[in-house]
Amino acid sequence: MTGGVETAGRPGLVAPFRAPLVARFARNRLAIAGLVVVVLFLLFCFVGPLVYSTDQTHTDLTQVNLAPGGAHWLGTDAVGHDELGRLMYGGRVSLLVGLAAGILATVIGTLWGAVAGYAGGWVDAVMMRVVDAGIAIPALFILLVVSAITTPDTAGLIVVLGLVSWLVPSRLVRAETLTLKNRDYVLTLRATGGTHGRAIARHILPGSVSTIVVAATFQVADAILLVAYVSYLGLGVQPPSTDWGGMLSAGLTAAYSDRWWLIVPPGLAIILVVCAFNAIGDGLRDAFDVRGRG
Amino acid sequence: MSPARTRLVAGAVVSASTLLLAGCSGSSDSSSASRDSINYALPANFTPNWILPIGTAAHLNTNNRSIADSLWERLVAYDGSTGKIAWNKKASIATDADFAADGKSVTMTLGDRHWSDGQPITSRDVQFWFDLIKANKTEWAGYTPGQAPDIWTSFKTVDDRHFTITFDKAYNSEWMLANQLSEITPLPQHVWDKGGDAKQVWKNLNDAAKNISGYASDPLWKTISGPYSVKSFSTSGKVVLTENKKYDGGEKPGISTVNLLPFTTADAEKNAVRSGSVDYGYIEATDLDQEESFTAQGYEVKPWSGWAITYMPYNFNNPAMGAVFNQLYARQAVQHSIDQASLAKVVFNGTAVAGYGPIPQGQTSDFISSEQKTNPYPFSTDTARTLLTDHGWTEQDSVMTCTEPAKCGEGIAEGTKFEMQVLSQSGSTVTDNMMSAIQSSLAKTGIKFSIKTAPVNSVLSQTPQCTSDQPICDWQLSFFGTAGSWYFSAFPTGDSLFQSKGGSNFGNYSNPEVDKLISASTTSNSNQPIQDYSAALAQDLPVIWLPEPVYQVSVIRNGLGGFSQDSLANFHPAQWKWTS
Repeated sequence: MTGGVETAGRPGLVAPFRAPLVARFARNRLAIAGLVVVVLFLLFCFVGPLVYSTDQTHTDLTQVNLAPGGAHWLGTDAVGHDELGRLMYGGRVSLLVGLAAGILATVIGTLWGAVAGYAGGWVDAVMMRVVDAGIAIPALFILLVVSAITTPDTAGLIVVLGLVSWLVPSRLVRAETLTLKNRDYVLTLRATGGTHGRAIARHILPGSVSTIVVAATFQVADAILLVAYVSYLGLGVQPPSTDWGGMLSAGLTAAYSDRWWLIVPPGLAIILVVCAFNAIGDGLRDAFDVRGRG
Repeated sequence: MSPARTRLVAGAVVSASTLLLAGCSGSSDSSSASRDSINYALPANFTPNWILPIGTAAHLNTNNRSIADSLWERLVAYDGSTGKIAWNKKASIATDADFAADGKSVTMTLGDRHWSDGQPITSRDVQFWFDLIKANKTEWAGYTPGQAPDIWTSFKTVDDRHFTITFDKAYNSEWMLANQLSEITPLPQHVWDKGGDAKQVWKNLNDAAKNISGYASDPLWKTISGPYSVKSFSTSGKVVLTENKKYDGGEKPGISTVNLLPFTTADAEKNAVRSGSVDYGYIEATDLDQEESFTAQGYEVKPWSGWAITYMPYNFNNPAMGAVFNQLYARQAVQHSIDQASLAKVVFNGTAVAGYGPIPQGQTSDFISSEQKTNPYPFSTDTARTLLTDHGWTEQDSVMTCTEPAKCGEGIAEGTKFEMQVLSQSGSTVTDNMMSAIQSSLAKTGIKFSIKTAPVNSVLSQTPQCTSDQPICDWQLSFFGTAGSWYFSAFPTGDSLFQSKGGSNFGNYSNPEVDKLISASTTSNSNQPIQDYSAALAQDLPVIWLPEPVYQVSVIRNGLGGFSQDSLANFHPAQWKWTS
């Protein structure tokens, strides 16, 4: 919301509603719960290993498939990794990839949509046909192809997920841009010699911030799900790295055994985090929604 | 939330919840099988598409060949279906093979057998096969230059039930019988030879065989010598075989109808086993700790050991690591870092056996050397580290780095890091776990081992024989052995695998001494040359030797018996019987 501070006083921008925005978001209990869940998982994955230190690089074939107990709070997996430590380690990849890919997709989609909507005409037509074509190709298919021809790592997954996920945000931002570009203050800027770039940077994008922020939260949730899908299919990050989808995939062989600790924790983690980001997105959308204000 | 988003999240939640609840799921009731039929699960992702016992490599894979063998029996059925790898005379057209004293020819005797149309099976039917293969050898799946039919110089008919094949020189009679003569399948010449030369006949037969939907109806396929005929053959992969009432051989079918069922994935097959719709199927090694759930459903869990070895080839021509791989001490260090005993026991749930050389170790045989049996390079990362440090390597940032090039060996520059990547077969949890464990133990030695996975066909296509100047030669290690890397014919010669320029010598290994031993093993009637070959390769490490997994972990419905699982990985429906 820093954009709101910088543009305070300009008509049509969101800064005057900043305080009510936070208050309105805080009134949405589900969104607050989602925020708490996300913060807790971030602490669990990034601070947890400082408290609960485990070796996630080397396997230990003398300690495989141990049930939860004193030495291993969540047991061990099929090659002797501590499962709780693995959950933290895998969560880092899932959250990092999800957050970074979501942000990357939002940035690309925002710029693409803003330029297309603002330029209009044939530029808009060409740019949006590119989006239409991209949406027609299933993202999972592209991910599987890329994973098959490259060695997936964290950075690679972020880039690939970002590049296949920006299409929907671009449509949202374009729609917002189409309504903003004909506002009086934008037309005034152009009439007084302001450049197109300045119009986009100072008015269109700040004016679309509510759409962008809400889209970003959903993009993060989608990216976490996508990376889980890819890893579940065995084409995610390679050992010794892992993520929650990969853990779930590896644990699937225990589906008919009593080794619940290989399936339930990563499965729950994916469900909770994805739902949490969606709840935050819903909360933000409601908070930004001017028509909903009392 | 938008409806689409709601669906997405709901779908994710349902999917994940399903997995979470999977551990609580019970098994469904098994249906009782008919005593007149059996449902056999074909390997996952395999669709039968060929019945002709001659054809190209693309068609004559192991399972298609098993179906073909049920329709047209081989001249010499050399398999492991009787409990040991030997000539199974009950399933053979020939009854005797008399090798000349000089080892340069063999005279075969045919049994008193008939085709299903009542005509006798004669030497002419064998010669028909011989002529077809001679004329079309490069298109034949079984062709290896320098072997049959190149080494067979003539076919002479003695009478209707006797013929002599002459060789270009003396050969090991066991190798000739087990690996060469066993390829022959007498074909119904009186039906299939419809004029034209051998090339035209070959083309006509192969063209006819491409019509899968005609397998059950085309009269061409009705004249058979085996215990079964085709009742139906679906293009989607389901095959129904029915008893050949005119069969006069030694392996009369114990079950009149055999349903061969295709499955797209191993999980789909396992679900079918759990539902009771499969009588003879398979599970993964990782499922063995759920053995009780299968036995409770009325199955016996029985590992099917294969006559195979498992390994990771080094690419000796790789521009980055080829020079390192060429150093025996480096290969020894790698082999010392592989804890095969633990891998076999833990990762493979006890279904694999450690393999230390080129002869399969899952079965006892006269071919293996004492050197291979006793493991020349036992697991010890300390020994491995010492080998490297003694040869000019120093650990830097947890990776061994060449700091004394004169000691490291020819072509290894100062600063070279011992880092290697494997392109490994995907889709198997057991393989993933094995690779993780190997990565971990190599890291203790100071060798960085990175893993990339791909479907097995991609692995094979991306790790070909190559020269160092070719872009495709960037692969360093390859693994395609989730169910064993290489299945041998009965006589485990290494000509294709480890002979210089051998057809399947993917890593371009070359050792003149080994070449001589391989050549001697196929020409001498003594087992000493192949034992020497076993010892030489156990010590010289042309590949990374790995545990030998079973061909499959079978689940067999109680009451189905009367057979041994063929270690040559073929199935023999005629031997299956409902015993209770």
